[in-house]
Amino acid sequence: MMNVENFEVKNLHFNYGKVKALDGVNLKLPGGAIGLLGPNGAGKSTLIKILLGFLSPDKGEGLVLGYDIKKQQSSIRRYVGYMPESDCLIPGMDAVSFTSYLGELSGMPRQEAMKRAHEVLFYVGLEESRYRNLETYSSGMKQRLKLAQAIVHDPKLIFLDEPTSGLDPRGRIEILDLILDISSKKDIQVLISSHILSDIESVCSYVVILNKGELASQGKISDLKQINYSLYEIKAFENVERFIDGLSNIGCKVEQTADKLIRVYLPPEKIPQDIISIAVEEKTQIRHFVKSQTSLEDIFADIVGVD
Amino acid sequence: MSIKEKGYTHWDGKLKKMKFPWKPITQCGIKLTFKKKFFKFSFFLTLVPALIYLAGIYASEKIEDFSFLTRDTDTLSFLKVDPKYFSSYFTSDTLLFMIILLMVFCGAGLISDDLKYNSLQLYFSRPIKKNDYFMGKAAVIAFFIFIVTLIPGIVFIVMKLIFSGSFRFLASFPWLIFSVVGYSIFITTFFAFYTLFLSSLNKNRRYVGILIFGLYFFSEIIFGIFFGIFKSKYFALLSIEVNLQQVGAGFFGQKPVYDIPWILSFLIITMICILAAIVLKRKIRSVEVVK
Repeated sequence: MMNVENFEVKNLHFNYGKVKALDGVNLKLPGGAIGLLGPNGAGKSTLIKILLGFLSPDKGEGLVLGYDIKKQQSSIRRYVGYMPESDCLIPGMDAVSFTSYLGELSGMPRQEAMKRAHEVLFYVGLEESRYRNLETYSSGMKQRLKLAQAIVHDPKLIFLDEPTSGLDPRGRIEILDLILDISSKKDIQVLISSHILSDIESVCSYVVILNKGELASQGKISDLKQINYSLYEIKAFENVERFIDGLSNIGCKVEQTADKLIRVYLPPEKIPQDIISIAVEEKTQIRHFVKSQTSLEDIFADIVGVD
Repeated sequence: MSIKEKGYTHWDGKLKKMKFPWKPITQCGIKLTFKKKFFKFSFFLTLVPALIYLAGIYASEKIEDFSFLTRDTDTLSFLKVDPKYFSSYFTSDTLLFMIILLMVFCGAGLISDDLKYNSLQLYFSRPIKKNDYFMGKAAVIAFFIFIVTLIPGIVFIVMKLIFSGSFRFLASFPWLIFSVVGYSIFITTFFAFYTLFLSSLNKNRRYVGILIFGLYFFSEIIFGIFFGIFKSKYFALLSIEVNLQQVGAGFFGQKPVYDIPWILSFLIITMICILAAIVLKRKIRSVEVVK
């Protein structure tokens, strides 16, 4: 895994007219796979656009792979790979000519690009269909192809935008396997933007969470799970509504699932005894009380404030 | 073979800053055009006028061999190879129609396919600038138009010199080669802007093809209608075809078909190109790569 910080942005501001898209974002990210999370409109796309050099920030500065995001945009795009979310292809081409063509556009000599195209198509598992017309590809194959074109020029950094969207469970696991292999063993840094938090959790060790254009949180997933809160699962009877209100009043975030399970996010300053005290006060019977493992979904819900 | 068996290997080469980043785009565009259904036949068809004019150049040098065809040798005066001969080739309705046919095949999908299949993000996530992209696409159009304009024009001159066995022709019209090159570049520039502009308007290549044909002939029809009603020669300026022919006559030092200064047509065509460039610049936005 790389130790060099490939990303560093300081006090990044960007506005679309009067709308603030990014508001003073500071990031210094380690190597490996990094998850970029945030609800719609959080500023993820704007951040990627700036990192890829499509937009110049209104204020602030940054480096991607050591290149200035304001002045060396072309160089950034030469050394990074980008896997877009939507299906994209060039009609009339097969996978080999498509991948080698995009390698050439990145600056590879033609013959090298062709050789490399075969290699990466083997790597992503498209070896048998590499001479088939791209328009006949299934969603899963198109997803693999997008990954192949993103790595054909052997980038040092790859941006993956919703890499598993539209895939069946098996295809999803295979793509995640590839991403994990690239990021953990191949010395390539990966930045994944996804709404599927379990995917991020299975591949990334580090996450960046944006909310309303600001950096809501960043850090190792394992650290974030510990710092923020403890999660308890409770089954309660009698005066449940009042019990939930009582928990909310002491600063807990409370969710109730369809099967009446109460999930309580306990802030760091509170202890489990406080939950019991509320139950006693409200004369609520507690029949099940378990400390649960927090998932990335829980962290996200807690930070961004969405259920 | 599964992914793990093969494994990922690093490439030991070095990515280079390309001198002509648009070159792969052009090469790919040309290759894909030749893969299209019926294109090879249509392409051959577009070369027919050039072959006929080439035969005319040969015949012009052997005029006595063909005199048996007619009693009156003046009938064969059209075989006199001079700037008018070149002008008649370059501004003929047939050639312009053939170019439009070529544009439908090679140009209609150049941008519209990229819009339909979201390929713009593949281009612009690489060290390709918007101008490189346009240049690459325009060069595809230039390649095909030069094959029916610039190349035949030069071949005509060379063949004339070979068939006549002297440089007298070149000495008589030393500027002709510049007219051939100049008008070929002019007509190519116009059709590049015209086709790319229309191609950027819609995601459906067939619809763009209809637009390429339709707009060209619609301008001709409009001219016909207004000219029929008002009898004013200035309505000729409404026709794309007439404007191209007027400019062509200007380039080859011939009298234009309509008695209007050819520079007006030149300005109109230039205006169309500028408008097309503005629309293209607004329609294709590299920043939209990340949605």
